[in-house]
Amino acid sequence: MAGPVSPAHKPPALAAWWLARALPPDIREAFLGDLEERFHSEVLPARGLRAARRWYWLEALRAPLALPLPDRRGSPTAQPLNRSTAKDGVMTTFLRDLRFAVRLLGRQPGFTAVVTLTLALGIGATTAIYSAVHPILVESLPYPDAGRLVMVWEREKTGETSNLGYGTFRDLADGATSFDHLAAMSYWEPTLTGTAEPERLFGQSVSAAFFRTLGVAPALGRDFTAAEDVRDAPRAVILSHALWRARFGGDSSVVGRAITLGGVPFAVVGVMPAGFENVLAPNAQLWRPLRYDASLPHACRSCRHLRVVGRLKPDVSPAAARRELDVLLTRMMADYPTEYASTGFAVPSLHAQVTGGVKPALLALLGAVALVLLIACANVANLLLARGAQREGEFAVRTALGAGRPRLIRQMLTEALVLAAAGGALGVGLAIVGVRALVTLSPPDLPRLDAIAVNGPVLAMALLVTTVVGVGFGLVPAWHAARSEPRAGLHQQTRHAIGGRHAMRAGLVVSEVALALLLLVGSGLLLRSMQRLFAVSPGFDPDRLFTLQVQTGGPRFQTDSATWGYFERVRAAVRAVPGVEAVGLTSQLPLSGDYDGYGVHSESKPRPNPADDPSAFRFAVSPGYVETMRIPVLRGRTLDETDRGGAPPVVLINQALARRAWPGEDPLGQRVRLGDPANGPWRTVVGIVGDVRHVSLGAEVPNAAYVPETQWGWSDYAMSLVVRARGEPAALLPAVRRAVRALDPDQPIVRVALMSEVVAASAAERRFTLVLFEAFGVLAVVLAAAGIYGVLAGAVAERRREIGVRTALGATQRDILALVLRQGLSLTAAGAVIGLGAAALLTRAIDDLLFQVPRLDPVTYLGVTLLMALVAGIACWVPARRAVRVDPVAATRGE
Amino acid sequence: MDLRLGDLEQLVLLALIRLGTDAYGVAVQREIARRAGRDLSFGTIYSTLARLEGKGLVTSHLGDPTPERGGRRKKFFTLRPAGRRAVRQNLKALRTMTQGLDPSWQAP
Repeated sequence: MAGPVSPAHKPPALAAWWLARALPPDIREAFLGDLEERFHSEVLPARGLRAARRWYWLEALRAPLALPLPDRRGSPTAQPLNRSTAKDGVMTTFLRDLRFAVRLLGRQPGFTAVVTLTLALGIGATTAIYSAVHPILVESLPYPDAGRLVMVWEREKTGETSNLGYGTFRDLADGATSFDHLAAMSYWEPTLTGTAEPERLFGQSVSAAFFRTLGVAPALGRDFTAAEDVRDAPRAVILSHALWRARFGGDSSVVGRAITLGGVPFAVVGVMPAGFENVLAPNAQLWRPLRYDASLPHACRSCRHLRVVGRLKPDVSPAAARRELDVLLTRMMADYPTEYASTGFAVPSLHAQVTGGVKPALLALLGAVALVLLIACANVANLLLARGAQREGEFAVRTALGAGRPRLIRQMLTEALVLAAAGGALGVGLAIVGVRALVTLSPPDLPRLDAIAVNGPVLAMALLVTTVVGVGFGLVPAWHAARSEPRAGLHQQTRHAIGGRHAMRAGLVVSEVALALLLLVGSGLLLRSMQRLFAVSPGFDPDRLFTLQVQTGGPRFQTDSATWGYFERVRAAVRAVPGVEAVGLTSQLPLSGDYDGYGVHSESKPRPNPADDPSAFRFAVSPGYVETMRIPVLRGRTLDETDRGGAPPVVLINQALARRAWPGEDPLGQRVRLGDPANGPWRTVVGIVGDVRHVSLGAEVPNAAYVPETQWGWSDYAMSLVVRARGEPAALLPAVRRAVRALDPDQPIVRVALMSEVVAASAAERRFTLVLFEAFGVLAVVLAAAGIYGVLAGAVAERRREIGVRTALGATQRDILALVLRQGLSLTAAGAVIGLGAAALLTRAIDDLLFQVPRLDPVTYLGVTLLMALVAGIACWVPARRAVRVDPVAATRGE
Repeated sequence: MDLRLGDLEQLVLLALIRLGTDAYGVAVQREIARRAGRDLSFGTIYSTLARLEGKGLVTSHLGDPTPERGGRRKKFFTLRPAGRRAVRQNLKALRTMTQGLDPSWQAP
């Protein structure tokens, strides 16, 4: 009957191996033979290999649950499940417990489902959050000896850190002995042409030692050489693996070929490996050498635009390196007294640098999710206790038949572990879904986004949590069962046992309420912070305003006047689009990560060291920008079409700069130099405009100087267009895009967004934390409410007779309602007091995340307490109504 | 001796009677699937057989190995007299219970 047996079509070996160990010896051979025979003769021909193997697995997994265990021959029903004999192996006892537990739980599907789901939510949420925490906070960065990687910043008098100028970097790279390598980097956004569509790419300009500093080498081709990192050296580029695959089809012959970037040929010298993760610029698709020398205008010491990363020598500490750099700085300051306002260097570890920004939020989330897990555990322990009450008779019988207490405790622990394992398995499933949502929701600046996944270490953590949770909540009822008087269960429960259990369940509910309230306070404070934050005016009016960035690249834009002419035409073309109310251009768009700062040097108040003068963000803007953004002109005038190249240079300043640079004086008519204190035109302050939140809504307003784009020393290669629509901005967008594209289809249009979206996105990290806190808060409240409900429902059921007697003796419905509600609400009140007290202490942990809300904000505390009371009231109401409906006759007639 | 049988026990005993000397796991499984339309797992069948063996209703012996079974031997089951008695008694109870009912309820 069986056809020729192909070796490839065999039953799964692992399943057979497991069965051989789980089956009793007397049927082992026959059973395995039967399975294999049926596998070949029926299942495989009828259903195919996959289904047949699945069938085999199913049979293998179900068999040990149905069958007598290895040591039990003869009558399977004669021997009770209570006593394990000395002959039994640990495995046998465990299997027996396991089978018993699975059967028992299968018989109570409702209970099992509720417990499994509760645990799955707790474990799933914890696992999902941990999958983000692990790569960011626990794992070291994906480089060899990552602990030796540090950043180098200049430290200013204010305590803030800043980038380095090229001269400073050169001196450090040549003079410092603490480092194996030092590398400088800046951003680079070339447009790739010569293939299909022109495409704007995102890359980095790096000094030659960049990849050696990180300790990674190209997978194809070679690394940059020092000879390529000098001015006028032949242009070289290294591609990321992703770009190489996407744009060059993974063709290895591209190494050695030239590609056109920004209209200029670059020789491809290498391709990075697929696994290379660049934490310094996660989006970078390609790299070119910096090719600076000290004679370049932007290579000056005060042109601080380079980030510097270094690899310390093996035995050098960051502190020792910093001391060495500080000595070098004193020498540099002596040589170039007007170029530095720094007090030294900061040398944080690269890991701290990359993760520092999100660390408080992630830790707060981890804490929040741990609270959810605790509440879930308390709830499950509560359910198990309630069930333990129903099983006291069973335990008494088993004790009477000779089961020792350790045996009973082991059984209960096994049951708890089975529940935890089911919850853990489902929880990991939820976590896999949750992580996807987490990554979608995550703020753009969350580091190591690609490394966030449910992987080995995360699963190990989930397993650990599951085990700890299983043992943890399993011990509560087990401990309780072990303490109770064995024989008592056969007759009637003793006061002691009932009282103990009630106290424990009440304690669990109180702690659930406390934990939930703690979470609610956290969510409430974050929510209020968010409200406060969005109540902050950005300084411009985002209503019906949208933006897009227009770039220039290629040989057509070699001269400043060509670039300015193009932007001028863009502005005119957009203004002509019907429905456009106003239009302007700016080199830097608020709240979008554009930073370009220059020193502001006043003619009337020279400082001995011009580097000590205030600095300001420089906005090269077109006429109409200030009006389009509706930035108020507070004094003087705005910029108009007459303020162009050749006309007297002018500048608008914001209130913050006016206050800081000329305290108590009139800034109008003052003359300033921007950038270089010794050269360049004097610009007259002709107007003072309102403050704009450039960095973020929560950060201090930075100084700002607005200059006409055509009066600046050079043309900016990319400008952001801001357009105010008369009607719906989204409807106008395609027409504006078409108008720009019609001027020059080769110039990429990027960063298209409504300004309201830009404002909202600037708080993305805050929103991320808030959304998760809210989700956890809701979950916590629901679980706590379920806990209150469970305890009261149990209490009402146990007190049926008492309630019946009370009713019979004349208690009104109101009295009975009050009786139950009092019990529930007093538990809630106790939990609330503890929870609020804990919140007052523990919200310290989220202090960094709050904005203009004190962490003891009474409105929040009061609000969440009322919310909790309301929910608790609803949870009490149902069992209270049930108590009212108790029929005194039926209840007192006996059991 | 208690000769009351559960539903599964009844099915398995009847399968043993039908199969005679060829009653081993696969054959029993197939017989019940074909006739009663119940696709039982081997775990269920063997646990039922173990229970019947424990009650002294059936006995077993090992047969010869065959290649399609991975060289493993079959375990054949046969009824003991007590098993036959139990089946008879249960069928009798069924017949008695259905006697005189509407013909559509008649037991076989």
